[in-house]
Amino acid sequence: MDNRLERRHARTMRIMLGSVGMLTIIGISLAVLVALALLLSKTPWKTLRYFFIGPMQNTYYFGNMLNSAIPLIFGGLGVSLAMRAGSFNLGGEGQLYGGSFVATICALFLAPLGFFGAVVALVAGAFTGASLAGISGVLRMKWKTNELITSFLLSNAVVLVVNYLIAGPFMDPNTNLIATRTIPESFRLARILEPSNLSSALFIAIVAVMVIHFYLYKTKHGYELRMYGLNSNFATYGGIDPRRYQVIPIMLSGALYGLGGSLAIFGTYYACMKEFSAGMGWNGLAVALIAKFKPAAVIPAALFFAYIESGARSAMLHSDVTYEISSIVQSVVFFLVTSTVLQQIGATRRRSV
Amino acid sequence: MRDAVEMAGIVKIYGETGLKANDKVDLTLHKGEILCLAGENGAGKTTLMKVLYGMERPDSGTIRIDGKEVSIDTPLTASRLGIGMVHQHFMLIDDFSVEQNVTLGKEPLHYGLKYDAKAACEQVDKVIKNHHFSIEARQKVSSLAIGQKQQVEIVKMLYRDVEILILDEPTAVLTEQETEALFVTLRSLAERGKSLILITHKLHEIKAISNRVAIMRQGKMVGSFKTSEVSEQEIARLIMGQTVSLTVQRSITPQKQSDVMTFRHVSVFNHGRKTPVLDKISFSARSGEILGFAGVGGNGLAELEAVLSGQLPVTSGSVQLRNEDVSRLETAQLRKRGLAYIPADRLHTGCALAADVSENMIIDARDSFSRYQVLQREKIESHVERLLQTYQVKGSTRMPIGTLSGGNIQKVILAREIEQYRDYIVCCEPTWGLDVASSNFVYEQIMHLRSLGAAVLLISSNLDEILALSDRIVVLCRGAVVARLDENAVRQVTKEEMGNYMLGLKCQEKVHGQQA
Repeated sequence: MDNRLERRHARTMRIMLGSVGMLTIIGISLAVLVALALLLSKTPWKTLRYFFIGPMQNTYYFGNMLNSAIPLIFGGLGVSLAMRAGSFNLGGEGQLYGGSFVATICALFLAPLGFFGAVVALVAGAFTGASLAGISGVLRMKWKTNELITSFLLSNAVVLVVNYLIAGPFMDPNTNLIATRTIPESFRLARILEPSNLSSALFIAIVAVMVIHFYLYKTKHGYELRMYGLNSNFATYGGIDPRRYQVIPIMLSGALYGLGGSLAIFGTYYACMKEFSAGMGWNGLAVALIAKFKPAAVIPAALFFAYIESGARSAMLHSDVTYEISSIVQSVVFFLVTSTVLQQIGATRRRSV
Repeated sequence: MRDAVEMAGIVKIYGETGLKANDKVDLTLHKGEILCLAGENGAGKTTLMKVLYGMERPDSGTIRIDGKEVSIDTPLTASRLGIGMVHQHFMLIDDFSVEQNVTLGKEPLHYGLKYDAKAACEQVDKVIKNHHFSIEARQKVSSLAIGQKQQVEIVKMLYRDVEILILDEPTAVLTEQETEALFVTLRSLAERGKSLILITHKLHEIKAISNRVAIMRQGKMVGSFKTSEVSEQEIARLIMGQTVSLTVQRSITPQKQSDVMTFRHVSVFNHGRKTPVLDKISFSARSGEILGFAGVGGNGLAELEAVLSGQLPVTSGSVQLRNEDVSRLETAQLRKRGLAYIPADRLHTGCALAADVSENMIIDARDSFSRYQVLQREKIESHVERLLQTYQVKGSTRMPIGTLSGGNIQKVILAREIEQYRDYIVCCEPTWGLDVASSNFVYEQIMHLRSLGAAVLLISSNLDEILALSDRIVVLCRGAVVARLDENAVRQVTKEEMGNYMLGLKCQEKVHGQQA
């Protein structure tokens, strides 16, 4: 038992020291934000106040911020999972959009089935995402194509096809929006934290993170996946079928994207609007980068990302800066996250412990 | 006349394993001569040349170029001193033309700014014409044959006015005709006053091309000789050494023996090639004995390893495990049938460096450490803990295996595969790069397996190891079996004789389709 305690202690130390680098990154990016506000705004202190306090000033803003983190959690989780197996899934945009669309259509047709119908529709959304990503996986397995390119190209095409379907055969003639009909009341997820948009999909997202973490680090299958990602020669040598891990992880990744999009429809939008999800796929990738592909770190990374975005939105509404300031801060964050020097701040200390 | 190169007392110890790759080595290269540097794999030839070319820093010793003492810390310094090296694997950009490849890094410029393609072509063409090469400056490198690519490498050196040229096994990839053409070139270079060092272990080439031959063995310089004064047999004996320097305690062979792994006329052709990399290999490995495979690098040992581990499909012939034909099976399926395998490349195949020791230890036993698909942490930890103690590994279960020393990594692999073993085990270069203590530990374990009744297939380019451990020996040369030694023959065979087989001077059995 002593041994176990010691191990847990060592682990806590590791996590704390590991986050030194991340804290430095957040610190620097906030400093950049302050500098930008001082430069660009006539009322810098007001701008900064709205930027930092804005997302938390009332339940409406706070709930909306949390709500916008949900698809980011699913996307970040998807990218991290694929990355652990050494596949780069760049097709999040199409997988998310395609999955949401199919889930919406299923919901429209399965209206009489109630709860069961909702589950079927969500599964269909996830399945669509998985199939789209799976194409890239199978191509890689069969012909050694680069999934990074195929998933990206395929996703771009899917976005255009779905755009056509929404604007054409599936458009709701009774609204001014380019969107499908709205899904039945019985399919909609419960709202928590009224009057904000926050839906109970948040709980599903948290469960998803726990499930994926468990899958990766506690199951045999997850172990095989990680070994394949770390060194595919070693995995093959150890008797793991390499073909399996060229396809399954990226499919799971697509499924998470598809599920995230479908839940956004069921919890927030209620209809599949044209390009409603533009950017969500890429932002999921960014979240995974901040989380360094660790499933457990995806939640704080997604919250951080959502916070910066809604902070920028709030500052834009209440003061004289533009929304682009948020993009600049985001770019600074990614630039720093990908810089190896800063990451090593934590790593070198870890070694000397 | 001063000597082109004078290396004295060069010592190079690799920090990680404490292995003495070069032990007080002296080497002299006269001006305008061709010197062959010969020795077994791992004798320290390449290390010595890397020291001369500035790719490795020696721990002590001096180097004089043209009589002046110099310190060569990078290849850039070496090339300023007029030293050039042609590596075994070409360093060329396929999509560039010959002239672009040759001038890369030392381009002729218009007004010191713009790349002057015309001048580059002229200068490169001049070098090519001067030395009668068969290439043209404007050809794209990807369109050239292997021998021509090597010419590009040599032109690259000549363009840089190199005086001392090192060639690392230049004929390894060449055909007979290409080798002939290369030798003509090298002779004419020597006549023009360039000094050349060739790393090689092909005896007839040493005789054909060199003025002098320097022989290394186990990190030490055996000596330098005028090529005309030593015979091929004498060179072979000097390379291999006379005494077997290794003895291993061996128990009596178990009485009941059965065939475990049997190869029947197994051939492997590389894609699109006409000469096989494995040529109708037949043997059978029996329980309770060590079957050694000897050969010089590039003669089929690596391919044999790949076939045994299910990574290389056989073109023809059959591989039988017990009574089952396994010639079409891949690694995963072989593992299920009891494959235990210590790979030659322990860092890239034998482990995942970033994963921790536990994760590395259970790779092939993962099924027995999971229940309902969930890994049993506690069980794994105690199992690995026990193995680390039994095999005296300095390290703990949660450390990334990459932080361990080479010897300890090999012990982890050994522990894992011995645990996994059922009735046969494939050991490839099991002590490569290890220090004496770790090597002895590995030998003990292998002998222990034998006494348990395992069929051990030992693939090694270390001749001492093969002779000391094996019950029977199969010698490969150019992908074919050239000699089989049974138990009595193994005890009587000399290293010189083995060397003759390995280097293709002598052949015990008629090799299929060849006169050799």
